[in-house]
Amino acid sequence: MVWAPSPSGAGLLARFGRGNATAPFAPAKPLRARRAGSALSMRALAVPMLLFLALMVALPLGYAVWLSLTDFRFGQEAGFIGLRNYRAMLYDPDFWNGLYVTFYLYVLSLGLQLVFGCYLGMLLNRLRFGRRFLQTVLMSPFLLPPVVIGMMWLVILDPSLGAANWILQSLGLPPSLWLASPRIVVPVFALLDTWQWTPFVALLVLGGLQTMPDGIADAAAIDGARGMSMLRYITLPLLMPTLFIAVVLRSVDLLRFFDLIYITTQGGPGTASQTLNVYAFRRGLEFFDMGYASALMITLAAVVFGVVLALSRFRRLAEW
Amino acid sequence: MVTARVRVARVTQTLEVALVCAVVLIPVAWMIASSLKHSVEVTRYPPVLLFTPTLDNFSQLFTMLPFFDYFVNSLVVAVGSTALGLLLAVPAAFAISWHRVSWPATFVLFTRMAPGTLFVLPWFILFTKLGLIGTHSVLILTHTVVTMPLILWVMLPHFDSVPRSIFESALIDGCRQFDCLLRVAVPLVTPGLTVAAILAFISSWNFFLFALVLGGIDTKTLIVLSFNFVGEGSTDWGRLMAAAVVISAPPILMIFAAGRGLIGGLTNGAVKE
Repeated sequence: MVWAPSPSGAGLLARFGRGNATAPFAPAKPLRARRAGSALSMRALAVPMLLFLALMVALPLGYAVWLSLTDFRFGQEAGFIGLRNYRAMLYDPDFWNGLYVTFYLYVLSLGLQLVFGCYLGMLLNRLRFGRRFLQTVLMSPFLLPPVVIGMMWLVILDPSLGAANWILQSLGLPPSLWLASPRIVVPVFALLDTWQWTPFVALLVLGGLQTMPDGIADAAAIDGARGMSMLRYITLPLLMPTLFIAVVLRSVDLLRFFDLIYITTQGGPGTASQTLNVYAFRRGLEFFDMGYASALMITLAAVVFGVVLALSRFRRLAEW
Repeated sequence: MVTARVRVARVTQTLEVALVCAVVLIPVAWMIASSLKHSVEVTRYPPVLLFTPTLDNFSQLFTMLPFFDYFVNSLVVAVGSTALGLLLAVPAAFAISWHRVSWPATFVLFTRMAPGTLFVLPWFILFTKLGLIGTHSVLILTHTVVTMPLILWVMLPHFDSVPRSIFESALIDGCRQFDCLLRVAVPLVTPGLTVAAILAFISSWNFFLFALVLGGIDTKTLIVLSFNFVGEGSTDWGRLMAAAVVISAPPILMIFAAGRGLIGGLTNGAVKE
Protein backbone atom coordinates (compact mmCIF):
# COMPACT_ATOMS: atom_id res chain seq x y z
CA MET A 1 0.00 0.00 0.00
CA VAL A 2 1.24 3.45 -0.85
CA TRP A 3 0.50 6.28 1.52
CA ALA A 4 -0.98 9.13 -0.39
CA PRO A 5 -0.50 12.56 1.13
CA SER A 6 -3.80 12.90 2.88
CA PRO A 7 -5.01 15.86 4.86
CA SER A 8 -6.18 13.78 7.79
CA GLY A 9 -2.83 13.02 9.37
CA ALA A 10 -3.22 9.55 7.94
CA GLY A 11 0.50 9.34 7.26
CA LEU A 12 1.22 9.62 10.95
CA LEU A 13 -1.47 7.14 11.74
CA ALA A 14 -0.25 4.66 9.15
CA ARG A 15 3.24 4.70 10.60
CA PHE A 16 2.40 4.55 14.28
CA GLY A 17 -1.14 3.32 14.71
CA ARG A 18 -0.44 -0.32 15.38
CA GLY A 19 -4.11 -1.15 15.20
CA ASN A 20 -3.95 -0.37 11.51
CA ALA A 21 -4.87 -3.31 9.36
CA THR A 22 -2.45 -2.55 6.52
CA ALA A 23 1.11 -3.01 7.67
CA PRO A 24 2.99 0.06 6.43
CA PHE A 25 6.43 -1.49 6.31
CA ALA A 26 5.48 -4.65 4.49
CA PRO A 27 6.38 -4.28 0.81
CA ALA A 28 10.15 -4.08 1.30
CA LYS A 29 10.80 -7.81 1.41
CA PRO A 30 10.87 -9.00 -2.20
CA LEU A 31 13.04 -6.07 -3.24
CA ARG A 32 15.54 -6.54 -0.47
CA ALA A 33 15.81 -10.22 -1.40
CA ARG A 34 17.03 -9.50 -4.89
CA ARG A 35 19.11 -6.52 -3.88
CA ALA A 36 22.35 -6.65 -5.84
CA GLY A 37 25.26 -5.09 -4.04
CA SER A 38 25.11 -1.60 -2.61
CA ALA A 39 23.45 0.07 -5.60
CA LEU A 40 20.05 -0.23 -3.96
CA SER A 41 21.11 0.82 -0.49
CA MET A 42 20.14 4.39 0.22
CA ARG A 43 21.20 4.25 3.85
CA ALA A 44 24.11 6.61 3.25
CA LEU A 45 21.62 9.36 2.47
CA ALA A 46 20.29 9.34 6.02
CA VAL A 47 23.72 9.56 7.64
CA PRO A 48 24.06 13.38 7.69
CA MET A 49 20.72 13.74 9.43
CA LEU A 50 21.50 11.05 11.96
CA LEU A 51 24.87 12.65 12.66
CA PHE A 52 23.18 16.00 13.16
CA LEU A 53 20.63 14.44 15.52
CA ALA A 54 23.36 12.73 17.49
CA LEU A 55 25.28 15.97 17.97
CA MET A 56 22.42 18.40 18.42
CA VAL A 57 19.83 16.25 20.18
CA ALA A 58 21.20 13.05 21.69
CA LEU A 59 24.38 14.56 23.09
CA PRO A 60 22.71 17.56 24.78
CA LEU A 61 20.00 15.23 26.05
CA GLY A 62 22.56 12.98 27.69
CA TYR A 63 24.20 16.06 29.13
CA ALA A 64 20.85 17.20 30.53
CA VAL A 65 20.32 13.83 32.17
CA TRP A 66 23.75 14.06 33.76
CA LEU A 67 23.12 17.67 34.87
CA SER A 68 19.92 16.60 36.54
CA LEU A 69 21.98 14.34 38.80
CA THR A 70 24.23 17.20 39.90
CA ASP A 71 23.90 20.41 41.88
CA PHE A 72 25.35 22.41 38.97
CA ARG A 73 24.82 26.16 39.06
CA PHE A 74 26.13 28.21 36.17
CA GLY A 75 29.72 29.31 36.82
CA GLN A 76 30.33 26.75 39.54
CA GLU A 77 31.69 23.22 39.65
CA ALA A 78 29.12 20.46 39.32
CA GLY A 79 28.92 17.91 42.10
CA PHE A 80 27.17 14.55 41.68
CA ILE A 81 24.24 14.29 44.06
CA GLY A 82 22.35 11.31 42.64
CA LEU A 83 18.59 11.59 42.60
CA ARG A 84 18.43 14.33 45.21
CA ASN A 85 17.07 16.86 42.68
CA TYR A 86 14.18 14.57 41.91
CA ARG A 87 13.50 14.04 45.59
CA ALA A 88 13.62 17.80 46.19
CA MET A 89 10.94 18.19 43.56
CA LEU A 90 8.49 16.24 45.68
CA TYR A 91 8.76 18.88 48.41
CA ASP A 92 8.76 21.86 46.05
CA PRO A 93 5.39 23.64 46.11
CA ASP A 94 6.29 25.49 42.87
CA PHE A 95 6.72 22.14 41.09
CA TRP A 96 3.28 20.96 42.17
CA ASN A 97 1.80 24.32 41.30
CA GLY A 98 3.43 24.07 37.86
CA LEU A 99 2.03 20.59 37.34
CA TYR A 100 -1.42 21.78 38.41
CA VAL A 101 -1.37 24.84 36.13
CA THR A 102 -0.11 22.71 33.23
CA PHE A 103 -2.91 20.18 33.51
CA TYR A 104 -5.60 22.75 34.29
CA LEU A 105 -4.64 24.64 31.12
CA TYR A 106 -4.28 21.41 29.13
CA VAL A 107 -7.67 19.91 29.97
CA LEU A 108 -9.56 23.19 29.59
CA SER A 109 -7.94 24.14 26.26
CA LEU A 110 -8.16 20.67 24.76
CA GLY A 111 -11.84 20.36 25.61
CA LEU A 112 -12.71 23.75 24.14
CA GLN A 113 -10.66 23.15 21.00
CA LEU A 114 -12.18 19.74 20.32
CA VAL A 115 -15.75 20.99 20.68
CA PHE A 116 -15.28 24.15 18.63
CA GLY A 117 -12.96 22.38 16.20
CA CYS A 118 -15.55 19.70 15.41
CA TYR A 119 -18.24 22.34 14.96
CA LEU A 120 -16.04 24.46 12.71
CA GLY A 121 -14.81 21.47 10.70
CA MET A 122 -18.37 20.36 10.02
CA LEU A 123 -19.32 23.91 9.07
CA LEU A 124 -16.45 23.99 6.57
CA ASN A 125 -17.53 20.64 5.20
CA ARG A 126 -21.07 21.94 4.60
CA LEU A 127 -19.95 25.07 2.75
CA ARG A 128 -20.76 25.21 -0.95
CA PHE A 129 -18.57 28.16 -1.78
CA GLY A 130 -16.01 30.26 0.06
CA ARG A 131 -14.38 27.22 1.60
CA ARG A 132 -10.99 27.85 0.06
CA PHE A 133 -10.96 31.40 1.32
CA LEU A 134 -12.07 30.42 4.81
CA GLN A 135 -9.44 27.70 4.99
CA THR A 136 -6.72 30.22 4.17
CA VAL A 137 -8.07 32.70 6.72
CA LEU A 138 -8.20 29.97 9.36
CA MET A 139 -4.51 29.20 8.91
CA SER A 140 -3.40 32.65 10.04
CA PRO A 141 -3.92 32.40 13.83
CA PHE A 142 -1.67 29.40 14.30
CA LEU A 143 0.94 30.42 11.75
CA LEU A 144 1.42 33.89 13.26
CA PRO A 145 4.44 34.23 15.56
CA PRO A 146 3.58 33.66 19.25
CA VAL A 147 5.22 36.99 20.03
CA VAL A 148 2.72 38.73 17.79
CA ILE A 149 -0.19 36.87 19.36
CA GLY A 150 1.11 37.85 22.80
CA MET A 151 1.59 41.54 21.96
CA MET A 152 -1.80 41.69 20.26
CA TRP A 153 -3.69 40.27 23.23
CA LEU A 154 -1.70 42.32 25.75
CA VAL A 155 -2.99 45.45 24.03
CA ILE A 156 -6.55 44.18 23.64
CA LEU A 157 -6.80 42.76 27.18
CA ASP A 158 -5.13 45.69 28.94
CA PRO A 159 -7.15 46.17 32.17
CA SER A 160 -7.36 49.97 31.97
CA LEU A 161 -7.19 50.90 28.27
CA GLY A 162 -7.91 47.68 26.41
CA ALA A 163 -10.65 47.12 23.88
CA ALA A 164 -11.92 44.00 25.69
CA ASN A 165 -12.99 45.93 28.78
CA TRP A 166 -14.48 48.64 26.62
CA ILE A 167 -16.69 45.99 24.99
CA LEU A 168 -17.64 44.57 28.39
CA GLN A 169 -18.56 48.03 29.68
CA SER A 170 -20.56 48.88 26.58
CA LEU A 171 -22.58 45.74 27.27
CA GLY A 172 -23.10 46.89 30.85
CA LEU A 173 -20.80 44.24 32.31
CA PRO A 174 -18.11 44.84 34.95
CA PRO A 175 -14.55 45.16 33.55
CA SER A 176 -12.09 42.32 34.11
CA LEU A 177 -8.42 42.22 35.01
CA TRP A 178 -7.88 39.48 32.40
CA LEU A 179 -4.24 38.36 32.50
CA ALA A 180 -3.59 40.34 35.70
CA SER A 181 -6.12 38.34 37.68
CA PRO A 182 -4.67 35.28 39.44
CA ARG A 183 -8.10 33.69 39.51
CA ILE A 184 -8.94 33.78 35.79
CA VAL A 185 -5.51 34.00 34.14
CA VAL A 186 -5.41 30.29 33.27
CA PRO A 187 -8.91 30.22 31.72
CA VAL A 188 -7.98 33.36 29.76
CA PHE A 189 -4.89 31.60 28.40
CA ALA A 190 -7.09 28.62 27.56
CA LEU A 191 -9.36 30.94 25.58
CA LEU A 192 -6.41 32.54 23.78
CA ASP A 193 -4.99 29.16 22.86
CA THR A 194 -8.45 28.09 21.73
CA TRP A 195 -8.64 31.18 19.53
CA GLN A 196 -5.28 30.27 18.04
CA TRP A 197 -5.58 26.50 17.62
CA THR A 198 -9.27 25.70 17.09
CA PRO A 199 -8.80 26.43 13.35
CA PHE A 200 -6.06 23.80 13.25
CA VAL A 201 -8.33 21.17 14.81
CA ALA A 202 -11.08 22.26 12.40
CA LEU A 203 -8.82 21.75 9.37
CA LEU A 204 -7.93 18.26 10.64
CA VAL A 205 -11.62 17.47 11.16
CA LEU A 206 -12.43 18.74 7.68
CA GLY A 207 -9.75 16.44 6.25
CA GLY A 208 -11.24 13.53 8.17
CA LEU A 209 -14.75 14.32 6.96
CA GLN A 210 -13.66 14.57 3.35
CA THR A 211 -11.98 11.18 3.32
CA MET A 212 -15.07 9.60 4.84
CA PRO A 213 -16.94 7.32 2.45
CA ASP A 214 -20.26 8.90 1.41
CA GLY A 215 -22.11 5.62 1.36
CA ILE A 216 -22.23 5.22 5.11
CA ALA A 217 -23.87 8.57 5.78
CA ASP A 218 -26.29 8.01 2.90
CA ALA A 219 -27.27 4.56 4.17
CA ALA A 220 -27.76 5.95 7.68
CA ALA A 221 -29.90 8.76 6.28
CA ILE A 222 -32.10 6.20 4.51
CA ASP A 223 -32.39 4.32 7.81
CA GLY A 224 -33.70 7.52 9.36
CA ALA A 225 -30.61 9.01 11.04
CA ARG A 226 -31.06 12.76 11.40
CA GLY A 227 -29.21 15.61 13.09
CA MET A 228 -28.06 14.52 16.51
CA SER A 229 -28.37 10.78 15.94
CA MET A 230 -26.34 11.07 12.74
CA LEU A 231 -23.68 12.99 14.66
CA ARG A 232 -23.70 10.65 17.64
CA TYR A 233 -23.75 7.29 15.84
CA ILE A 234 -22.22 7.95 12.43
CA THR A 235 -20.11 11.07 12.09
CA LEU A 236 -18.28 11.13 15.43
CA PRO A 237 -17.39 7.41 15.51
CA LEU A 238 -16.01 7.65 11.97
CA LEU A 239 -14.13 10.78 12.95
CA MET A 240 -12.42 9.16 15.94
CA PRO A 241 -9.09 8.35 14.23
CA THR A 242 -8.81 11.99 13.09
CA LEU A 243 -9.72 13.29 16.53
CA PHE A 244 -7.08 11.00 18.00
CA ILE A 245 -4.42 12.67 15.86
CA ALA A 246 -5.74 16.08 16.87
CA VAL A 247 -5.66 15.14 20.55
CA VAL A 248 -2.10 13.81 20.34
CA LEU A 249 -0.77 16.86 18.48
CA ARG A 250 -2.54 19.33 20.76
CA SER A 251 -1.49 17.41 23.89
CA VAL A 252 2.16 17.64 22.93
CA ASP A 253 1.92 21.40 22.46
CA LEU A 254 -0.33 22.14 25.40
CA LEU A 255 1.63 20.17 27.98
CA ARG A 256 4.75 22.18 27.18
CA PHE A 257 2.87 25.48 26.99
CA PHE A 258 5.54 28.18 27.15
CA ASP A 259 5.74 30.91 24.51
CA LEU A 260 2.52 32.85 25.02
CA ILE A 261 2.79 32.76 28.82
CA TYR A 262 6.43 33.73 28.95
CA ILE A 263 5.81 36.58 26.52
CA THR A 264 2.81 38.02 28.36
CA THR A 265 2.86 37.23 32.09
CA GLN A 266 6.11 35.28 32.67
CA GLY A 267 4.03 32.96 34.84
CA GLY A 268 2.38 35.70 36.86
CA PRO A 269 0.57 37.20 38.59
CA GLY A 270 2.57 35.49 41.32
CA THR A 271 2.79 31.93 40.08
CA ALA A 272 -0.81 31.72 38.89
CA SER A 273 0.09 30.94 35.26
CA GLN A 274 3.48 29.35 35.84
CA THR A 275 3.31 26.10 33.90
CA LEU A 276 5.92 23.44 34.53
CA ASN A 277 7.76 24.51 31.39
CA VAL A 278 7.84 28.17 32.41
CA TYR A 279 8.95 27.23 35.93
CA ALA A 280 11.75 24.99 34.64
CA PHE A 281 12.92 27.71 32.25
CA ARG A 282 12.95 30.42 34.92
CA ARG A 283 14.68 28.16 37.41
CA GLY A 284 17.39 27.32 34.86
CA LEU A 285 17.95 30.54 32.96
CA GLU A 286 16.84 33.25 35.35
CA PHE A 287 18.16 31.72 38.58
CA PHE A 288 20.85 29.60 36.85
CA ASP A 289 19.92 26.68 39.08
CA MET A 290 20.70 24.33 36.21
CA GLY A 291 20.93 20.96 37.90
CA TYR A 292 17.49 21.28 39.41
CA ALA A 293 16.06 22.87 36.25
CA SER A 294 17.30 19.90 34.19
CA ALA A 295 15.53 17.54 36.55
CA LEU A 296 12.35 19.59 36.11
CA MET A 297 12.64 19.55 32.31
CA ILE A 298 13.28 15.81 32.18
CA THR A 299 10.22 15.31 34.35
CA LEU A 300 8.21 17.50 31.98
CA ALA A 301 9.44 15.50 28.97
CA ALA A 302 8.45 12.32 30.81
CA VAL A 303 4.98 13.77 31.43
CA VAL A 304 4.56 14.60 27.72
CA PHE A 305 5.68 11.13 26.59
CA GLY A 306 3.63 9.51 29.33
CA VAL A 307 0.47 11.22 28.13
CA VAL A 308 1.19 10.36 24.48
CA LEU A 309 1.82 6.72 25.37
CA ALA A 310 -1.32 6.58 27.49
CA LEU A 311 -3.31 8.05 24.62
CA SER A 312 -2.03 5.50 22.12
CA ARG A 313 -2.68 2.68 24.59
CA PHE A 314 -6.21 4.00 25.01
CA ARG A 315 -6.59 4.10 21.25
CA ARG A 316 -5.63 0.46 20.91
CA LEU A 317 -8.10 -0.52 23.62
CA ALA A 318 -10.91 1.44 21.98
CA GLU A 319 -10.26 -0.29 18.63
CA TRP A 320 -11.27 2.05 15.91
CA MET B 1 -41.96 24.87 1.99
CA VAL B 2 -38.71 23.24 1.04
CA THR B 3 -37.27 26.34 -0.54
CA ALA B 4 -38.08 28.34 2.59
CA ARG B 5 -36.25 25.84 4.74
CA VAL B 6 -33.27 25.81 2.39
CA ARG B 7 -33.20 29.58 2.47
CA VAL B 8 -33.21 29.66 6.29
CA ALA B 9 -30.38 27.12 6.34
CA ARG B 10 -28.43 29.19 3.86
CA VAL B 11 -28.88 32.37 5.89
CA THR B 12 -27.83 30.75 9.18
CA GLN B 13 -24.83 29.24 7.45
CA THR B 14 -23.77 32.62 6.11
CA LEU B 15 -24.19 34.09 9.59
CA GLU B 16 -22.05 31.32 11.06
CA VAL B 17 -19.29 31.93 8.54
CA ALA B 18 -19.43 35.67 9.21
CA LEU B 19 -19.18 35.04 12.96
CA VAL B 20 -16.19 32.73 12.53
CA CYS B 21 -14.41 35.25 10.31
CA ALA B 22 -15.16 38.01 12.82
CA VAL B 23 -13.77 36.04 15.77
CA VAL B 24 -10.62 35.12 13.87
CA LEU B 25 -10.00 38.42 12.11
CA ILE B 26 -11.14 41.17 14.50
CA PRO B 27 -8.19 40.84 16.90
CA VAL B 28 -5.80 40.90 13.92
CA ALA B 29 -7.64 43.86 12.41
CA TRP B 30 -7.41 45.64 15.78
CA MET B 31 -3.66 45.10 15.77
CA ILE B 32 -3.32 46.52 12.27
CA ALA B 33 -5.59 49.48 13.09
CA SER B 34 -3.58 50.28 16.23
CA SER B 35 -0.37 50.24 14.25
CA LEU B 36 -1.80 52.98 12.02
CA LYS B 37 -2.89 55.26 14.87
CA HIS B 38 -1.07 58.27 16.26
CA SER B 39 0.54 57.67 19.64
CA VAL B 40 -2.10 59.86 21.30
CA GLU B 41 -5.04 58.10 19.72
CA VAL B 42 -3.85 54.56 20.31
CA THR B 43 -4.24 54.72 24.09
CA ARG B 44 -7.41 56.80 24.08
CA TYR B 45 -10.25 55.31 26.11
CA PRO B 46 -12.86 54.54 24.99
CA PRO B 47 -10.99 53.50 21.82
CA VAL B 48 -11.61 55.46 18.67
CA LEU B 49 -12.78 53.49 15.68
CA LEU B 50 -12.48 56.26 13.11
CA PHE B 51 -9.10 57.92 12.79
CA THR B 52 -6.78 59.28 10.15
CA PRO B 53 -4.22 56.54 9.48
CA THR B 54 -0.53 57.37 9.70
CA LEU B 55 2.61 55.43 8.88
CA ASP B 56 4.64 57.24 11.56
CA ASN B 57 4.92 54.13 13.73
CA PHE B 58 6.43 52.16 10.90
CA SER B 59 8.90 54.84 9.88
CA GLN B 60 9.93 55.26 13.52
CA LEU B 61 10.67 51.54 13.75
CA PHE B 62 13.15 51.75 10.94
CA THR B 63 14.66 55.17 11.70
CA MET B 64 14.86 55.23 15.50
CA LEU B 65 15.71 51.56 15.94
CA PRO B 66 18.03 49.28 13.98
CA PHE B 67 14.89 47.38 13.11
CA PHE B 68 16.10 46.57 9.64
CA ASP B 69 19.25 44.86 10.97
CA TYR B 70 17.14 42.58 13.12
CA PHE B 71 14.89 41.88 10.18
CA VAL B 72 17.99 40.72 8.30
CA ASN B 73 18.99 38.57 11.30
CA SER B 74 15.63 36.87 11.28
CA LEU B 75 15.86 36.35 7.55
CA VAL B 76 19.38 34.88 7.72
CA VAL B 77 18.38 32.47 10.46
CA ALA B 78 15.12 31.41 8.83
CA VAL B 79 16.62 30.93 5.37
CA GLY B 80 19.72 29.22 6.78
CA SER B 81 17.83 26.78 8.94
CA THR B 82 15.37 26.03 6.15
CA ALA B 83 18.21 25.29 3.73
CA LEU B 84 20.10 23.15 6.25
CA GLY B 85 16.88 21.39 7.19
CA LEU B 86 16.18 20.57 3.55
CA LEU B 87 19.74 19.40 3.00
CA LEU B 88 19.57 17.00 5.93
CA ALA B 89 15.95 15.89 5.88
CA VAL B 90 15.19 15.39 2.19
CA PRO B 91 17.85 12.71 1.51
CA ALA B 92 17.01 11.13 4.85
CA ALA B 93 13.29 11.08 4.07
CA PHE B 94 14.06 9.43 0.75
CA ALA B 95 16.24 6.79 2.42
CA ILE B 96 13.68 6.13 5.16
CA SER B 97 10.90 5.83 2.63
CA TRP B 98 13.02 3.55 0.40
CA HIS B 99 14.05 1.16 3.15
CA ARG B 100 10.77 1.38 5.07
CA VAL B 101 12.62 1.67 8.34
CA SER B 102 10.80 3.51 11.06
CA TRP B 103 13.27 4.15 13.87
CA PRO B 104 14.95 7.26 12.44
CA ALA B 105 11.54 8.80 11.83
CA THR B 106 10.49 7.86 15.34
CA PHE B 107 13.58 9.45 16.79
CA VAL B 108 12.84 12.61 14.85
CA LEU B 109 9.29 12.52 16.17
CA PHE B 110 10.73 12.35 19.67
CA THR B 111 12.72 15.51 18.91
CA ARG B 112 9.51 17.14 17.78
CA MET B 113 7.69 16.18 20.99
CA ALA B 114 10.35 17.01 23.56
CA PRO B 115 10.00 20.43 25.18
CA GLY B 116 12.44 22.94 23.70
CA THR B 117 13.57 23.95 27.17
CA LEU B 118 15.03 20.49 27.56
CA PHE B 119 17.55 21.23 24.80
CA VAL B 120 18.11 24.89 25.39
CA LEU B 121 19.78 24.51 28.77
CA PRO B 122 22.52 22.05 27.70
CA TRP B 123 22.95 24.00 24.47
CA PHE B 124 23.43 27.19 26.45
CA ILE B 125 26.20 25.58 28.54
CA LEU B 126 27.87 23.75 25.64
CA PHE B 127 27.77 26.66 23.21
CA THR B 128 29.03 29.04 25.90
CA LYS B 129 32.02 26.73 26.34
CA LEU B 130 32.56 26.73 22.57
CA GLY B 131 32.24 30.52 22.52
CA LEU B 132 29.52 30.36 19.89
CA ILE B 133 26.73 32.11 21.80
CA GLY B 134 25.43 35.09 19.92
CA THR B 135 26.50 33.97 16.46
CA HIS B 136 24.20 33.38 13.54
CA SER B 137 25.48 29.84 13.13
CA VAL B 138 24.22 28.83 16.57
CA LEU B 139 20.75 30.09 15.75
CA ILE B 140 20.77 28.36 12.37
CA LEU B 141 21.89 25.07 13.92
CA THR B 142 19.35 25.15 16.72
CA HIS B 143 16.49 26.27 14.52
CA THR B 144 17.31 23.35 12.24
CA VAL B 145 16.24 21.11 15.12
CA VAL B 146 12.79 22.65 14.52
CA THR B 147 12.75 22.73 10.73
CA MET B 148 14.28 19.32 10.05
CA PRO B 149 11.62 17.13 11.74
CA LEU B 150 8.94 19.18 10.04
CA ILE B 151 10.49 18.76 6.60
CA LEU B 152 11.08 15.06 7.18
CA TRP B 153 7.48 14.42 8.16
CA VAL B 154 6.06 16.47 5.31
CA MET B 155 8.30 14.72 2.78
CA LEU B 156 7.85 11.11 3.92
CA PRO B 157 4.36 10.56 2.46
CA HIS B 158 5.40 12.32 -0.75
CA PHE B 159 8.33 9.98 -1.30
CA ASP B 160 6.14 7.06 -0.29
CA SER B 161 3.64 7.91 -2.97
CA VAL B 162 6.18 7.75 -5.81
CA PRO B 163 5.94 4.31 -7.44
CA ARG B 164 9.02 2.22 -6.73
CA SER B 165 9.18 1.02 -10.31
CA ILE B 166 10.30 4.50 -11.40
CA PHE B 167 13.39 4.28 -9.19
CA GLU B 168 14.01 0.69 -10.14
CA SER B 169 14.12 1.47 -13.84
CA ALA B 170 16.37 4.46 -13.12
CA LEU B 171 18.69 2.20 -11.17
CA ILE B 172 18.76 -0.34 -13.95
CA ASP B 173 19.66 2.49 -16.31
CA GLY B 174 22.74 3.06 -14.18
CA CYS B 175 21.54 5.80 -11.87
CA ARG B 176 23.47 6.11 -8.63
CA GLN B 177 22.06 6.95 -5.23
CA PHE B 178 22.56 10.70 -5.44
CA ASP B 179 21.46 10.88 -9.07
CA CYS B 180 18.45 8.84 -8.17
CA LEU B 181 17.55 11.32 -5.46
CA LEU B 182 18.38 14.51 -7.33
CA ARG B 183 17.26 13.69 -10.86
CA VAL B 184 14.42 11.28 -10.28
CA ALA B 185 12.92 11.66 -6.83
CA VAL B 186 13.22 15.39 -6.16
CA PRO B 187 11.57 16.53 -9.42
CA LEU B 188 8.66 14.21 -8.67
CA VAL B 189 8.05 15.66 -5.20
CA THR B 190 8.55 19.36 -5.94
CA PRO B 191 5.07 20.36 -4.71
CA GLY B 192 5.74 18.68 -1.37
CA LEU B 193 9.15 20.29 -1.25
CA THR B 194 7.67 23.75 -1.66
CA VAL B 195 5.17 23.17 1.13
CA ALA B 196 7.90 21.77 3.38
CA ALA B 197 10.20 24.72 2.72
CA ILE B 198 7.46 27.28 3.38
CA LEU B 199 6.36 25.65 6.61
CA ALA B 200 9.97 25.31 7.73
CA PHE B 201 10.64 28.97 7.00
CA ILE B 202 7.54 30.09 8.89
CA SER B 203 8.27 27.95 11.93
CA SER B 204 11.87 29.10 12.06
CA TRP B 205 10.86 32.73 11.59
CA ASN B 206 8.30 32.41 14.41
CA PHE B 207 10.47 30.45 16.83
CA PHE B 208 11.00 32.23 20.10
CA LEU B 209 12.76 30.17 22.74
CA PHE B 210 16.10 29.34 21.15
CA ALA B 211 16.77 32.85 19.88
CA LEU B 212 15.76 34.24 23.28
CA VAL B 213 18.45 32.25 25.06
CA LEU B 214 21.15 31.83 22.44
CA GLY B 215 20.92 35.04 20.42
CA GLY B 216 23.43 37.79 21.10
CA ILE B 217 22.77 41.52 21.25
CA ASP B 218 23.52 41.93 17.55
CA THR B 219 22.16 38.62 16.32
CA LYS B 220 18.80 38.48 18.06
CA THR B 221 15.86 37.93 15.82
CA LEU B 222 12.95 40.29 15.34
CA ILE B 223 10.89 38.03 17.56
CA VAL B 224 13.24 38.50 20.49
CA LEU B 225 13.61 42.23 19.85
CA SER B 226 9.85 42.64 20.05
CA PHE B 227 9.72 40.53 23.19
CA ASN B 228 12.19 42.97 24.72
CA PHE B 229 9.83 45.82 23.80
CA VAL B 230 7.12 44.09 25.80
CA GLY B 231 9.49 43.34 28.66
CA GLU B 232 10.58 46.97 28.94
CA GLY B 233 6.93 47.78 29.55
CA SER B 234 6.82 49.86 26.40
CA THR B 235 3.61 51.85 26.49
CA ASP B 236 4.01 53.03 22.93
CA TRP B 237 1.31 50.73 21.66
CA GLY B 238 1.36 52.14 18.17
CA ARG B 239 4.98 51.24 17.64
CA LEU B 240 4.50 47.89 19.37
CA MET B 241 1.67 46.98 17.02
CA ALA B 242 3.64 48.25 14.01
CA ALA B 243 6.44 45.87 15.00
CA ALA B 244 3.89 43.07 15.30
CA VAL B 245 2.58 43.81 11.81
CA VAL B 246 6.08 43.81 10.30
CA ILE B 247 6.93 40.48 11.96
CA SER B 248 3.67 38.95 10.79
CA ALA B 249 4.15 40.04 7.21
CA PRO B 250 6.36 37.18 5.91
CA PRO B 251 4.23 34.33 7.34
CA ILE B 252 0.98 35.97 6.23
CA LEU B 253 2.28 36.66 2.73
CA MET B 254 3.39 33.04 2.43
CA ILE B 255 0.07 31.70 3.69
CA PHE B 256 -1.84 33.66 1.10
CA ALA B 257 0.64 32.89 -1.67
CA ALA B 258 0.67 29.16 -1.03
CA GLY B 259 -2.98 29.00 -0.01
CA ARG B 260 -4.59 25.69 0.68
CA GLY B 261 -1.55 23.79 -0.48
CA LEU B 262 -0.10 24.28 2.99
CA ILE B 263 -2.94 22.48 4.72
CA GLY B 264 -1.94 19.06 3.47
CA GLY B 265 1.55 19.57 4.82
CA LEU B 266 0.35 21.05 8.08
CA THR B 267 -2.07 18.34 8.98
CA ASN B 268 0.10 15.46 7.93
CA GLY B 269 1.56 15.09 11.36
CA ALA B 270 4.45 17.48 11.16
CA VAL B 271 3.13 20.61 12.76
CA LYS B 272 4.87 23.24 14.77
CA GLU B 273 3.74 26.37 16.56
